[in-house]
Amino acid sequence: MKPLLRIPDIVWRVEKRREAETLDALERGEDVAERGTVILIISGMMHQLNLVGGMIWSRCDGSRTEQQIIEEMAAEFDVDLTVLADDVHEFIADLLQRGWLTHG
Amino acid sequence: MADNFTDLFSAPLTFNWTLSYRCNFSCSHCYSRDEKVPELPTSDILRIVDILVEKQVPFINFGGGEPLIRDDLYEVAAYASQRGLNVSMNSNGWLLDRAAAQRLKDAGFKSVGLSIDSSCGASHDDFRNMPGAFERAVAALDALREVGLKSTMSSVISRINFQSFRELLQLAREHGVGQVYLHNFKCSGRGFKNREELDLTPEEWKAFYIEALAVKAASKDLLISFDDPVIASLPGYDENPLVKGSTCGKLSLNLRPNGDITPCGFIPVVVGNILTDDFDHLWYESPVLKKMRSKEAQGKCAGCGAFEDCLGGCTARSFATTGDFDQPDPHCWK
Repeated sequence: MKPLLRIPDIVWRVEKRREAETLDALERGEDVAERGTVILIISGMMHQLNLVGGMIWSRCDGSRTEQQIIEEMAAEFDVDLTVLADDVHEFIADLLQRGWLTHG
Repeated sequence: MADNFTDLFSAPLTFNWTLSYRCNFSCSHCYSRDEKVPELPTSDILRIVDILVEKQVPFINFGGGEPLIRDDLYEVAAYASQRGLNVSMNSNGWLLDRAAAQRLKDAGFKSVGLSIDSSCGASHDDFRNMPGAFERAVAALDALREVGLKSTMSSVISRINFQSFRELLQLAREHGVGQVYLHNFKCSGRGFKNREELDLTPEEWKAFYIEALAVKAASKDLLISFDDPVIASLPGYDENPLVKGSTCGKLSLNLRPNGDITPCGFIPVVVGNILTDDFDHLWYESPVLKKMRSKEAQGKCAGCGAFEDCLGGCTARSFATTGDFDQPDPHCWK
């Protein structure tokens, strides 16, 4: 499997303060699934990715395969590996279908 | 509203950056012709680029004054683009020959905008108070096309062109322009002094936008953009902007030649200086920015059903004519 690469034309950034607040909320056991931490500007439209989505997106820099991303995420989150792998795969498949990622 | 913005955004998406107020033109509507502030040396400008990179501001757009007046524009742009910023500029085109176009491309510019206000050369030259301005601006568009640098066209809508904007769009098509900005007229600087002569009535603005939006919807080969929040009060308007109301102070900020920050180029209220103040504190705590992000319906806006979409229209125009951010936009037709 080839590494995953973000489309270069997409402007994005990690909203660091929001990310730090979200990590704190996660520590407290709160549901952070709906909290955006990364913004993408695509064709004049803004999209938000949540903490997990943002971490996957940030890693799609052309140096990691999907499997490598799953392994890195597994080291950061105390979650079932099968569930994590399914979630990452589903997310990446969606971004590939949107044309926001390619297999570089 | 303020919390919503600063809860997510840690910085604006765009800095509109005036390196110099100096200009080789003397236009009838210029907001900055009478502005005089010291300019920064190149070393300080590069420090500002570093700050913008650190704050993850993705876009900078050089305006003016005429950006090409400063010899270090290419150096600054090259440094900014190498550091990952998306760099663009607006120019009157007088100094933009083929060699300059190539240098702009080599410096990493993503696009260059040309200000053209009429498809009639004599009318444009008269508006810009510069004989030959139209010819050189159009030649600049061609030079950009020749070197493969994306061009845009900016046209300030006023009495000289609101009935002939289709010809402006056709001019853009003929010269390879991909996007045209039909800017709303701002009552700042000379624009304020000359507004009776140049500005439209609210009903004329309404008719213009209805017509221009229909043209935009039918235009498949040219992107047409507006920057007027008052549009949102039109019945059936269904575009979904990143934010409601003015984008100034929310998605964009303005940098003056001495590093002072204002909400936008048309609101001469300094919120701080990017070189001497803590940017995060300004962004999150500036009373001026908070006020702009938290407009309250005043005057005829109070009770108006459109307020939640237009947020009172253009804050710069309200401020220029009343001194109050919250007063209704004088262009409002409701």
